[in-house]
Amino acid sequence: MTKKKPLFDPKALKFLTAVSSIEYSKPTLKMGALIASVFDASHGIVYVGEKASEFHGSSVNLTRHNLDNWNIIHPGLEVLEWALEELKKMSPENQSLAKIRFNPDHVHEEDGRVRVILPNSNGSRIELVLREGELIDQLRREIQLEHYDLAIIGGSQNKRHLAHSIIQYLPSSVFVLQKFNPRKHYKLLLLVDDSSATRKSVEYGALIAKKLGWPVRTLTVSKTKRFGEGYLGAADLAKSYFHKQGIEVEQFFLTGDPVTTFVNFAGDNHFIIMGASTLNPVKQFLFGSKPIKTLEQTDVPILIVR
Amino acid sequence: MTILYIDVLFWMRQKKWLLIALAYGAIMHYGVTPPPDLNPAAFDALIIISIALILIITEPLPLPAIAMFMLFMQVILGIDTANNVASSFMNDAVFFIMGSLMLAVAIVSQGLDKRLALAIITMTGNKTWRIIAGFTAISALLASFIGEHTVAAMMMPVGLTLVRYAHKDPKKVVGLTAALLFSIAYGATIGSIGTPSGGGRNVIMMNYWAEFGAGSVTYLEWIKYVYPMVLFQIPFTVLILLWTFKPEQKTLDSAVRKLVIDVARAGKIKGREWLAIFLFFLVFLGWVFLSEAFGLGIIALLGVFLYLSFGLVEWQELNRKTNWGVILLFGAAISIGIQMNETGAAEWVAQVIIVNLGKIIVDPAMLQGSVSVLLTGFMSNILSSSATVAVVGPIVLDLGGDKILMGYATAIASAFGYFTAVAAPACTIIYSSGLVRSKDFLRAGWKMGVLSLVSLLGLSLLWWPIL
Repeated sequence: MTKKKPLFDPKALKFLTAVSSIEYSKPTLKMGALIASVFDASHGIVYVGEKASEFHGSSVNLTRHNLDNWNIIHPGLEVLEWALEELKKMSPENQSLAKIRFNPDHVHEEDGRVRVILPNSNGSRIELVLREGELIDQLRREIQLEHYDLAIIGGSQNKRHLAHSIIQYLPSSVFVLQKFNPRKHYKLLLLVDDSSATRKSVEYGALIAKKLGWPVRTLTVSKTKRFGEGYLGAADLAKSYFHKQGIEVEQFFLTGDPVTTFVNFAGDNHFIIMGASTLNPVKQFLFGSKPIKTLEQTDVPILIVR
Repeated sequence: MTILYIDVLFWMRQKKWLLIALAYGAIMHYGVTPPPDLNPAAFDALIIISIALILIITEPLPLPAIAMFMLFMQVILGIDTANNVASSFMNDAVFFIMGSLMLAVAIVSQGLDKRLALAIITMTGNKTWRIIAGFTAISALLASFIGEHTVAAMMMPVGLTLVRYAHKDPKKVVGLTAALLFSIAYGATIGSIGTPSGGGRNVIMMNYWAEFGAGSVTYLEWIKYVYPMVLFQIPFTVLILLWTFKPEQKTLDSAVRKLVIDVARAGKIKGREWLAIFLFFLVFLGWVFLSEAFGLGIIALLGVFLYLSFGLVEWQELNRKTNWGVILLFGAAISIGIQMNETGAAEWVAQVIIVNLGKIIVDPAMLQGSVSVLLTGFMSNILSSSATVAVVGPIVLDLGGDKILMGYATAIASAFGYFTAVAAPACTIIYSSGLVRSKDFLRAGWKMGVLSLVSLLGLSLLWWPIL
C-alpha cells in the first residue's frame, strides 16, 4: 500500500459543512474547520433552511425583498455570518480569513441557491451558501455542483433516522458528528476489511491521527472464527501504512456480527472511520449495508469514506 | 451503472408521492368499478382531484405541473373536450388572483410600510398591549381590502424592527416576538374574510355561485354579511395573543423611539406614494360599484394596468415576483371543480356525506353547516385556504340548504387555518422569519379556532336571519 500513489491530493480536496443554527451548530462547525485544516481542504459552509410551501412562496419572497429595505436579513444569512465570524475566532492566525467581510447585500442567486460573495476572500478558500428545501436533496445538489469530497453533518440535527439517505445518496464521503463533544478525548477507530474503500479510509485516518495526535485502533471483524487472507492482508497493510507515517496502532480482531461488534467496541469514546459499502445500490436500498447500519446504531462520530 | 442506479433510486425517493398518486389513480381507473349511481366521467373527475390533492399537499412536483396534469387528464379521460376545458380554465376568479398578486407587488414596492408603521405607533403609543392591539386591528382592516399576503408583507418589517430594538437577544423576548408576529398573521387572516377582495378564495366562491346558478352577491352585500365577524373577532384575538404569549416587556419605549427615528428618515410622504394610494382607492371604488358589471378580476387587472401606466412599478418586477404557478393551479382547480359539478361528482360526494353523517347528526341544517365548516377548516390547515375553497366548494354547494349562506360559511371557514404555517400566506410569512415555531401555531391556534367557530355560529344564528 505504501508504494502506491496516494488516492487523493489533500490540496485539491473540498469539504462541505452543513450548519443549521447558531444554537446547535458550533461543535459541527468547529470540527468541520478542524478537519478542513487537517487536510488543507477548501471549506464550504451551507445552511439548508426550510422552504416555504410553494403556494405562498412568492408572498414569502415579496416579504423578504421588503425586509431587505429595512436591513433585516434572511435568518439563514445570519447563521452564515455567525459561521464566518466563528471561523475567524478559531483561526486567529489566518490573515486572509481575517480580512473577509460579510455583507448580506452581496449575494448571488444561482442554480437554486444563494451564494454569499465574500470580498477579500482570495486565498481563504471559504464559500458560504444558503439553500432552502429538503436537507438530503439540497446537500446532494450542492455536492454535485461544487464537487465536494466530504460532507460534514452535525449530530445536533439528529440525522440518525436519515442514515440510509445520507450514506446512499450523498455523492461524497460523509462525516456525521453524532453526540460530538469537542472537549472529549476520542480514540480513532478504523474499521478494516477487504473492501476497496478501506485503503482510502486508512489514508484519511492517518492524516487525522497525525494532525490531531489521537490514538489509533484498527478493528477487523469476521463472522466466523477464521479470518480470511483478504481481511488479514488489509489489516497488515493498514498497520504498515500507519507505521510508515510514524503512528502507533493497536490492532483488534474480533468475531461476531460486524455491525454489532463495531458499535459495542466503539462505545462512546471512539471516532469511527470506515469505508463506504461496495454493495450494489439496489441491494443497499433493500437490505442496508454495514455503514448504514453502523450509522443507525452508533452514538459516536462516524466518517464514511467513499 | 452504479451512479445510474443511485440516480434512479434518488429520483424515486424524491418523487415517491408522485408514484404513489399515479399508482392510486391507475388502480382506481382500471381496477375499480364506479359505484352504480356515479357515472364514469364523474368517477374520473374524482380520481383526478384526489391525485391533485395528494400532489398539492406533498409537493413532489412544481405547482404548474400539477395544474397541467389536471387539465390534460380531463381531456385524456374524456371528461370534456379540449376547448371546453380551456374555456373553464380562465375566468374572473383567476383574473382576480392574478391581479391581486400583481397588486400586492405594486403596493409593497411603494415603501408605504414606513408610513403605516408611523401611523400605528402614533395611534397606539408605546404600551405593548396597545401596540399588539393596533397591529391586529390594522392588519385585519387592511387585509379585508388589499389581501392578507400584502398586509403581512408590509407589516412584517415593522414587527421585526420593533423586536430587534426591544432586545438584542431574540431569546429574551420570545413572548413579545410571538405576540407581535401573530398579531400580524392572525389579524390579517381574520380580516381576509371581510370583503371579496380580502382573499382569492372569496372570489372563487363567488365564481362558483355564478357557475352553480346560485345567483350573485355584490361587494357591499358580502361586507354586510361577513364584516361584523371581523370586527367582533379583533378584540378577542388581541386577548388570546396576550394570554398565550405573555410579552416580556410592558412598554416598548426605547424600541418605539428607535422605530420612529428609522421611519422619519423616509421624509414626508411623496407624490408618488399619494398616487399609489389614490390608484388603489380607485380600484376599491371599482370593486364596490362596478364589480357586478365588470367582475372583480377585471377591475384588479385594470388596477395593475394603472400602476404600470403611471410607472409606479416595472413589468420586470411584477413578472419576477408574481407566483404564476399558483395562478395556473387555481385555473386548473376551478376547471376541475366545474367538471365536478357538471358530471354530478360533487353531488354524489355530498350525498355520501349526508347519508353517512346523517345517522349521527339528524338536523339537516346542522349537518350541512357542520360538514361545510369542519371539512373546510380541516382541509385549509393541510392544503391552503384558497385551494380548499376551489376543491371543497363544489361539494359544499351540493350539500343542500341555501347555497349563498353555505358559500359564506365555507369561505369564512377556509380562513380557520390557524393551526399550521401552511394554511394562510400570512402564517407562512411569519413562520419564514424563523422566530416562531410550529407549536406556537398550535398554542394560539386552538383558541383562535374556538373563537372563530363561536363567531361564525353567532353570525349565522343571530345576524344572517335579520338581514
